Amino acid sequence: MTAHLAILASSFLGDLWTYVSDYGRELAFGLRRTIQVSAIAIAGAFFIGLVLGAARAHRVPVVSQLAAVYVEVIRNTPILVQIFMLYFALPEIGIRLDAFTVAWLSVMLWGGAFNTENFRAGFEAVPERYREAAFGLGFGRVAAFVNVTLPIGGRIALPSSINTYISVLKNTSLLYVISYPELTTTALQINALTLQTVETFTVLAVIYLALVWTMSAGIRLLERHLALPEAR
Amino acid sequence: MPEWVRPAADYMFHEGLRSTLEIAAISLVGALVVGILLGTLLTIDFRPLRAVIRLYIEVWRGLPILVTIFIIFFALPAASPSLEFSPLTSAAIGLILWGSAQVAEATRGAVGSIPREQHEAAAALGFGWVGRHVFVILPQAFRRLLPPVVGLLVNIIQNTTIAQVIGANELLESGERSVERLTAPPPIGLGEVHAFEIYGAVMVVFFAISFPLTRLAAYLERRLA
Repeated sequence: MTAHLAILASSFLGDLWTYVSDYGRELAFGLRRTIQVSAIAIAGAFFIGLVLGAARAHRVPVVSQLAAVYVEVIRNTPILVQIFMLYFALPEIGIRLDAFTVAWLSVMLWGGAFNTENFRAGFEAVPERYREAAFGLGFGRVAAFVNVTLPIGGRIALPSSINTYISVLKNTSLLYVISYPELTTTALQINALTLQTVETFTVLAVIYLALVWTMSAGIRLLERHLALPEAR
Repeated sequence: MPEWVRPAADYMFHEGLRSTLEIAAISLVGALVVGILLGTLLTIDFRPLRAVIRLYIEVWRGLPILVTIFIIFFALPAASPSLEFSPLTSAAIGLILWGSAQVAEATRGAVGSIPREQHEAAAALGFGWVGRHVFVILPQAFRRLLPPVVGLLVNIIQNTTIAQVIGANELLESGERSVERLTAPPPIGLGEVHAFEIYGAVMVVFFAISFPLTRLAAYLERRLA
């Protein structure tokens, strides 16, 4: 029984190896696009979160209210419907975006909304007395934000914002619906051609888990590295 | 109101929204049952068991839900023909795997937050491990579990749209079918594109369901914290 299982397992590993050596190049192209789109979206989501999170935390008039509407709309509607809106519905009112633009834009807008909340919570967690101390030292509002609220609140927001970036990466798989050739789309195309379904999805799952687990390990390292002195 | 609106809306509400709510309800109940069980077992100090449950949580939390659903819908039948499920069932299984991983993690924290004395008092009253958890620990832990569970419900409802990708006729799919039908030339459709109105309506419906629930989750979090 054990010997039988061992033979089955090793022949499956052999199949996987053949599969990877046959289609590794295509998968690598798909993986590169997944990483590229995620990187653009994560960078954008970082800036959106920083700016709108600060506007929300400090109740900057107008910007704060608009940011709240943006956050609630994105968080309370499915990202798949948002992708449909951008790619299939906007052309009807004359806005045509290509698949690549919709790819990074959709996941960036989604990540930006969640990140606005992450940063808002981080900035609001900075004790008021720190800001008062900065004002007392003669810092202006902007200088107090840059030198006091940002470094402290940013650290508080870091773990939850990296969680958002992990979700951004996972959400790029939904770009399959607009046929943007990232990792999942590429894997499904290979599957359609070869019908090596079990191999395809095993490899696909392993790649995603490797990416996601690496990022979560990164969170734990950063958390320890950037922890505030009082929290240590 | 234009003439095409009524039939499209009827179709989307009766077919689409119904399946959306069906998938969401099954997934929520499944995720709660599996997740609370695994989360409670995770508090037992027995390494091999903990390692297996940890792996389950990390795998189903780590994979994009779309990939999980593809694995269930495409790869399981390829591995064994007896494992063939309908799009609706496949989506529900995928959401249960993902949701139960979230619930398990939350349950572990909630059960761990119940003071030792509660365990000891229940044991002194003659409860065994199962009775102690079912009648004493979990009812108290549920208070702490409520806000994340409402948050999970919102996520599950939104993620039911992923079932669209494998062709389950939930709200988004019924919307897409309506768009396609209206775009078809006259005897069948109108030859008109109404994607903006229809996907916009889908967004509004999801917002109308999710927004009160996210408010409720935030309120519960503040009250029960």
